[in-house]
Amino acid sequence: MSILANKDTYVVIQGGVAGVNAARRMAEFCYLIKRSLNVLAFVYPPDAGKTHEIPYGSGLVAVPIYKTVAEATKHHPQINTSLVYIGADRAMKGGMEALDDTHIKVVSMITEGVPEKDAKILGAHARKLGKVFNGPSSIGIVSAGSCRLGVIGGAFDNLVLSKLYREGSFGVITKSGGLSNEIIWICSQFADGITTAIGIGGDAYPGTDYVSYLEMFENDPQTKAVVIVGEMGGDLEERAAEWYGAKKRRVKLMAVVSGFCQESLPKGMKFGHAGAKEGLKGEGSARSKSDALKKSGAIVPATFGALGPAIKDVYQDMLKSGQVKEPVEPASLPKLPKSIEAAMKADEVMVTPLIRTTISDDRGDEPCYDGYPASELINKGYEIPHVVGLLWDKRLISKQEAEIIKRIMMLSADHGPCVSGALGTIIAACAGIGLSQSVAAGLIMIGPRFGGAVTDAGRFFKHAVDNKMTVDEFLTYMKKNHGPVPGIGHRVKSLRNPDKRVKELVGYVKSLPIKTPCLDFALQVEQVTAAKKDNLILNVDGTMAAVLVDIGFPVDSLNGFFILSRTIGLIGHWVDQKRQDSRLIRLFDYLVNYAAPKRREVPPLK
Amino acid sequence: MAKVLEGPGMGLMKKWGINVPNYVVVTSVDELTKLGQANEWLKKSKLVAKAHEALGSRFKLGLVKVDLDFKAAEAATKEMIGRQVGSITVTQVIVSEMIPHKEEYYCAVKSTREGSEILVANCGGIEVESNWERVKRLCLEIGQAPSADALEKLSKEAGFTGPLIKKMADFAGKMYGCFDSEDAQYLEVNPVVTRASDGELVALDAVTLLDGDAKFRHPDWNFAFAAEFGRAYSKQEEEVMAVDSKIKGSVKFIEIPGGDTAMLPAGGGASVYYSDAVVARGGKLANYAEYSGDPPDWAVEVLTEKVCSLPGIKNIIVGGAIANFTDVVKTFGGIINGFRKAKSEGKLKGVKIWVRRGGPREKEGLDAMRALKDEGFDISVFDRNTPLTDIVDKALQAK
Repeated sequence: MSILANKDTYVVIQGGVAGVNAARRMAEFCYLIKRSLNVLAFVYPPDAGKTHEIPYGSGLVAVPIYKTVAEATKHHPQINTSLVYIGADRAMKGGMEALDDTHIKVVSMITEGVPEKDAKILGAHARKLGKVFNGPSSIGIVSAGSCRLGVIGGAFDNLVLSKLYREGSFGVITKSGGLSNEIIWICSQFADGITTAIGIGGDAYPGTDYVSYLEMFENDPQTKAVVIVGEMGGDLEERAAEWYGAKKRRVKLMAVVSGFCQESLPKGMKFGHAGAKEGLKGEGSARSKSDALKKSGAIVPATFGALGPAIKDVYQDMLKSGQVKEPVEPASLPKLPKSIEAAMKADEVMVTPLIRTTISDDRGDEPCYDGYPASELINKGYEIPHVVGLLWDKRLISKQEAEIIKRIMMLSADHGPCVSGALGTIIAACAGIGLSQSVAAGLIMIGPRFGGAVTDAGRFFKHAVDNKMTVDEFLTYMKKNHGPVPGIGHRVKSLRNPDKRVKELVGYVKSLPIKTPCLDFALQVEQVTAAKKDNLILNVDGTMAAVLVDIGFPVDSLNGFFILSRTIGLIGHWVDQKRQDSRLIRLFDYLVNYAAPKRREVPPLK
Repeated sequence: MAKVLEGPGMGLMKKWGINVPNYVVVTSVDELTKLGQANEWLKKSKLVAKAHEALGSRFKLGLVKVDLDFKAAEAATKEMIGRQVGSITVTQVIVSEMIPHKEEYYCAVKSTREGSEILVANCGGIEVESNWERVKRLCLEIGQAPSADALEKLSKEAGFTGPLIKKMADFAGKMYGCFDSEDAQYLEVNPVVTRASDGELVALDAVTLLDGDAKFRHPDWNFAFAAEFGRAYSKQEEEVMAVDSKIKGSVKFIEIPGGDTAMLPAGGGASVYYSDAVVARGGKLANYAEYSGDPPDWAVEVLTEKVCSLPGIKNIIVGGAIANFTDVVKTFGGIINGFRKAKSEGKLKGVKIWVRRGGPREKEGLDAMRALKDEGFDISVFDRNTPLTDIVDKALQAK
């Protein structure tokens, strides 16, 4: 047996993230003791109508979220307990809502920092209704082998180590969350473990005090002794002592009280718990509590450390008197399935990766490009072209190469609003389309006729140079196999009206002490083609391509330089239109050659 | 609990209809002089000047001056502002109207488990301390306001007679109204006096403790809470408080000058047991500290830096029970970063570190602590199998 929480306890959790985490811990306990998940519903208005997926073993249980406690208990009439994880400013309303629901008999509030007045009102309301209000600031309640409410008991391994999968003989009541776990562990190591452990919360006026729970333990035949972990402040320990001393009790009472250090510390010092505070007139000191408990006949070890051996003594006496028998441990216990990550770490599974990457890794505290941390690259003076080199070609390019790439990007960042890419982006922007889609609309234009000739130009120039072709051989080869030479020819520019960008780039690259076989070849080709027709000049695509091949970039990456550079311009056009709040545009009729058939009658449908 | 100084405390009482003397709180003589031009009562009445700080025994320290005219009040203010008492510098002076009176009474409202209690006595000042049996009480359940009859009965029980019965009952009723509406935990007026001019009861002094947790519903609490142990918070303490107010979970830090055992334990409950163990073994605490509720690692790191910076420490107790949900690896990560930083700044020389902990990911966390040995830290690490406070015994024996 146990008190407050047992096999028939079913729970609604009021609150958000913290409540979901608690449900996960509760599911681990349910899995350990082989019962189905005891959390049947959540109440969290913002997510009402959705579900939370709670891991249970290797599967997931979908737990519905409702708007109100009444809705939750209407759909799940077995619910008899509520855990409140609502923020301090709204906790009282939530607690009241739960207490006023006829299905609910126990409300445990986990919220910390609840105003004292609110806690008192909740406690009084619960007493009036004959219900239990536990907390605020409660870590939870756990009955070994039957029910866990909240995160009390800690991680799965600790549940097993503390033998919470089966009943023992000791009841535990603590104010402190961390110490509840410690005592549960001590009871399992020095004796046969616990029946029920209750965190009543460290506030000055917990909704339910030691005495109420002592009464419950007294009426639970399985509980043979109760351990109280008290602390200075308030009079709860004194009341417990009064209860214990009032008449002969079936359960043995053991207690420790903290706060003796107060005697040698500044008066009025604030400890971790709100209630841990000596009264204005010295009442509620650790010493007065400890003395009162001793006087009532309770076992009060001098220090926390002495509690374990004291529990052992009590347990041994119980064994000798035949009051309890040595517990039988189950032959095997369910093991919590490991996550893939944990199993891999333990070398227990092998997973075939879905993708493979050779360029970057962001699993540390910052991304590494080809192994180099981004911040180190920045701090050592590297720039964007170097990052391009690392991510596109897996090499740290030289300062000179970086300068060439920078110039290429600057020259091709934009080319006015009329070209296909910019026009695409502008039309989209005027239609109210967002940045990424509008820029994508422009990028879609990049292809064989607009900006997308860099890769092919590079490929063919490289082919010619690698195969030591003459210009004539190359032009014949192209005519026979592929058609016009990519990178040669321009819509508006010509020999007489040269493209300044090409001139600029060629001039710069030729001024450097580097070998440029591709560029040289491309310029020779231009001489021949331009002689045939004025506008068959080396265009900016062809120039970029030849230069980039010369500095070693792989052919397949070459279009990327145009895409990257032009993205700067496309973003600019979108922002520009947005800033002007441009209106939707459409073509004027006079810009269209209507060559469709004249209006005519539709024949009857056959 | 949050203590409120006299000025804002009297402000709250006034808000709920309790008569208080005219008063001003000033930070300089100039301010008082200016106020003197605007407020006639300052020039007309006899005045009391008191240092407006969380200080005990102000009388003995000469920080309360009575029966002053305006000039003398200016002189007293000048003398008090800037005075250093321990760690507190007097920055404010409260100057109030002196109320000539013969009789002194006592009235308080205090929080109890069931609700509250109204305390009334027909003696006041220091007399009530030595005649505590003359204090009469009216116990109230939460949500239950005192009836006029009950208050008059209390007033009679306390020995008030004639028209004072009703006056004291009204006064106590208003005190309850203030207590209940302002989420107070303790209100005390000592003395309550009869103002000779109109025969009304006036609160001459106010002790006000409010529930800091209820601040969210009191937008007009525009005053700072005072430190509760007779000294100002140190810069280090204030920095930790600033972190505490920002995070999920909590970090707490209070310095205790002169100690040599530094505390860095987890848990509001366990931390006190650790402090007890140090005192029980004859050690001297250098601080109180605590982190709990799965705080972020950076917050624990800040706390660690403060602990490592305590002067003259010989041991650091990194204790903790078996955590429920505080991640041991993460929080220890913060502590380890703090230790490394302290060491690189030349701190922690000759300091022994003692660790005991359990909880989620305890093994990894404890292993990480153990590895600090290789970096030259003098650190001893224990797991859940070592009882909670045994590291304190070991630390203090190792001296």
